[in-house]
Amino acid sequence: MSRRRDGGWWRRAAGAWGIVTLALLAGGIASARGLSDERFPFAARAGIDLAAAAARVWSSDAALIYLENDEHVADDGSAQRWGYLFYSPVLKKCRAYSVRGGRILEAEDLDIKIEAPPVNASWIDSGPALAAAEQAAGNAFRQQHHGALATMLLSRGAFDSDDPDETTWTVVYASPDSPSLFVLVDAASGRVRRTWRG
Amino acid sequence: MRTPIVRNGHTLLIAAALLALASPSAAGHKQKTAPPAVSGPPNAAATAPAAMAAIADTAGPAITPVKVERVKPVREKYPTLQFFKANLEFIRSRYDRMREHASPQPGNAGPIDPRFLAYRRMIGDAETSRDSLVRAEDQTRRWELFANITDLGRIEDQLDLMDRQLADQKARLAELQRDFLGRQMTSLAVVMSGMPATELPASVTLMFESGDTISVTLSPEIGESLKHGGVLEICHRLIEPRVQTLTIVLRGGGWENSDPGYVVLDPSRDQLSFLRLDLAAARPAEGASSMTASRWINDTGLEASQGPETQP
Repeated sequence: MSRRRDGGWWRRAAGAWGIVTLALLAGGIASARGLSDERFPFAARAGIDLAAAAARVWSSDAALIYLENDEHVADDGSAQRWGYLFYSPVLKKCRAYSVRGGRILEAEDLDIKIEAPPVNASWIDSGPALAAAEQAAGNAFRQQHHGALATMLLSRGAFDSDDPDETTWTVVYASPDSPSLFVLVDAASGRVRRTWRG
Repeated sequence: MRTPIVRNGHTLLIAAALLALASPSAAGHKQKTAPPAVSGPPNAAATAPAAMAAIADTAGPAITPVKVERVKPVREKYPTLQFFKANLEFIRSRYDRMREHASPQPGNAGPIDPRFLAYRRMIGDAETSRDSLVRAEDQTRRWELFANITDLGRIEDQLDLMDRQLADQKARLAELQRDFLGRQMTSLAVVMSGMPATELPASVTLMFESGDTISVTLSPEIGESLKHGGVLEICHRLIEPRVQTLTIVLRGGGWENSDPGYVVLDPSRDQLSFLRLDLAAARPAEGASSMTASRWINDTGLEASQGPETQP
């Protein structure tokens, strides 16, 4: 009788230990997959080093002039894929890189003729920029007009006619029944400079 | 056994083992100064089988076989910068507004009224005499003081000069270190080995996705070297750290109309990757895809010093 009780205790302990081990293994695997999963969303700045490394191979004078989300932006300003556009004054050409999960998925020469200024080196990441836009007008717009965040883009001079030398985030909200909302966020200070509909 | 070293025209033949052992940063720097789209005769290398063993030893065990495809692999296309492309004209117009342009109005400065300049000169003249007296007294006092501290000043000047020289040398060493140790960029070296059982192609051509083409003539001398285990360096260049397809074409003799082969590359960022193409098993009837290939990464990079401040 006593031996049977002891045996049951051991079986229960072994069973519990097995469950704990399996749970830990499953958690570890899930965590590892999350980190290495190429669909893991990331903020815009996390992909810039890789894109810049490729751009320097393309042309040593290449400079980032523009970036935007290539896939849906989450609430925290992260996206599974971001697109980075570089301009070479020497080549007078543009080349785009689309980065996902720490890899360049697409590299594309853009057959366009523009002379764009490089964005400033210091700019706030997509998370704080989106938070500022949401707080200023985006959240209210989404609720009132059944809107959704459509695009986040970083550029210098393309959307700020008042101060074209400043690098800004432009957050674009779209709505099925209303004109889009544009929120311009200063990429240095994180302050919302202006909003407009169009 | 004598190591076969072959010279191919005006190109310099160096040992592939030296290539593998060379500082990757130095290689990267060399490539950086040249346009990435290099074409024309690249460096060729030929060496003995022992050197290949040295390459393998250098690279460690991470030599990975690479499949040479007969059909060009098709990769999924991902749309990028869709908002930018959709609003390109608007964005371009904004950028155009920021460009410098010639003004129709002349930008010459007008003449300054001479009276304004005279006022300033008159004040200066009035102050001059007083300043001269003050300066003379001050000068006398200073002469005495200077007599005592002149020697000290000379020593201080010498110390300053030494400081400046040290600072200049430190800046120069830091620049050298950055150039040759700390700026490894993503690069690729393609080497070829092995002698086909049938016939050596007259040339091998590599076509990159960027459109760059590198073609190397395989002379009888190179063929003799390959027969004895030599290795030919086809190219060494910067490459974007992304998945891309390299097209390989063999031409000449029985290879004239042979099919190309395709290798999918995925160069590791900021590292020197090697791709070895082996002709030993290649047959003209099956084209370039009958080659075997392998790749490895040169991870013998040197750790850059952080400068004298961090040294004991």
